[in-house]
Amino acid sequence: MNKEQEHNFIALLEKHQNIVHKVCRLYTNNQDAHNDLFQEITIQLWKAFPKFRGDAKFSTWMYRVSLNTAITLYRKSKRTISTQDFNGVAFKIKTEQYDDTEEQQLKTLYKAIHQLNDIEKALVFLYLEDKDYREISETLGISEVNARVKMNRIKTKLKTILNP
Amino acid sequence: MDELELLKKDWNKENGGFTKKTTAELYAMLHKKSSSIVKTLFYISVAELLFWIVINSIPYMTSEEYQKKLNTIYDNEFLFTGLTVLSYGIILLFIYLLFTSYRSISVTDSAKKLMESILKTRKIIKYYVLYNLIMAGFSLIIGFYFAFKHNPAVSGKFSHLGNMELIVTTIVIIVFITVFILVIWFFYRIIYGLLLKRLNRNYNELKKLEF
Repeated sequence: MNKEQEHNFIALLEKHQNIVHKVCRLYTNNQDAHNDLFQEITIQLWKAFPKFRGDAKFSTWMYRVSLNTAITLYRKSKRTISTQDFNGVAFKIKTEQYDDTEEQQLKTLYKAIHQLNDIEKALVFLYLEDKDYREISETLGISEVNARVKMNRIKTKLKTILNP
Repeated sequence: MDELELLKKDWNKENGGFTKKTTAELYAMLHKKSSSIVKTLFYISVAELLFWIVINSIPYMTSEEYQKKLNTIYDNEFLFTGLTVLSYGIILLFIYLLFTSYRSISVTDSAKKLMESILKTRKIIKYYVLYNLIMAGFSLIIGFYFAFKHNPAVSGKFSHLGNMELIVTTIVIIVFITVFILVIWFFYRIIYGLLLKRLNRNYNELKKLEF
């Protein structure tokens, strides 16, 4: 790949780097692991860049590559958290004092979402990014109906955890 | 759901509280090595290809005397050449299948399609290993058989055994070979099991959504 291509890629990545950071925040639990995953996503984006056609939005293309790297390609280092069962999380949160301030609520929400399984995280991520169900289904390779059903189940689960 | 809407608001904040990577940092990242499972899988498959090619080539690299012995064992030259051509043909076929399979792995596919491509590649490696283990098993059994039949040094040692003892010895040898092959197979399962544990779990999770 030539210098110009490299330059274009870096400019685009720099502009949209928040997408990668957000994926890293969901799938890792400390700064080292965050940087590790960020590194791997950057490499995968760069390797796939020649196949990127301008007809799709760069950010949309980034969602797919970043999530695929986090869910499938990335070999978790020991520093990253392992996915736990949702039920186990519910117990942990229930035992903590639930403060109704917005900040505390956000903290609890992040904690709950952080411990969903990899696929549920991907759904929540795309939902938070305001993607419609068509895009969610295409990114994950499941039907639109199933994406909707699963998202509703996740919402119900989160509700139960937050309002026991 | 109110809580998720609250989270969405926080989620989409301008900078999100992240330490932005500088242009120089991003440039440096492009030239680092990937540690993805596809790369690991690729190295394992190349190592396996080489390993079994070397194992298959050992008879050709040994002394002339041994080769002569081999020729007496396989007294039918046509059969011997045929088997050699076939085994290398199969190796070439596996190399071709692996190559096309690796090329079909694309990070820009949907998550499910990507996982399927990786699992397909892993399946090809699995069949390659299985094929070689089965061939190794057969070769060992045939080797023992010919040693009994044609090698006076070996058959002399067993000549004093009665029929019953001979049957027991044969069974012991077959069990030994089977256990040996199963141990190697089990070892492979562990390597791939560990490497693809997370991928399998996520793939099953996606498949579960389709019901």
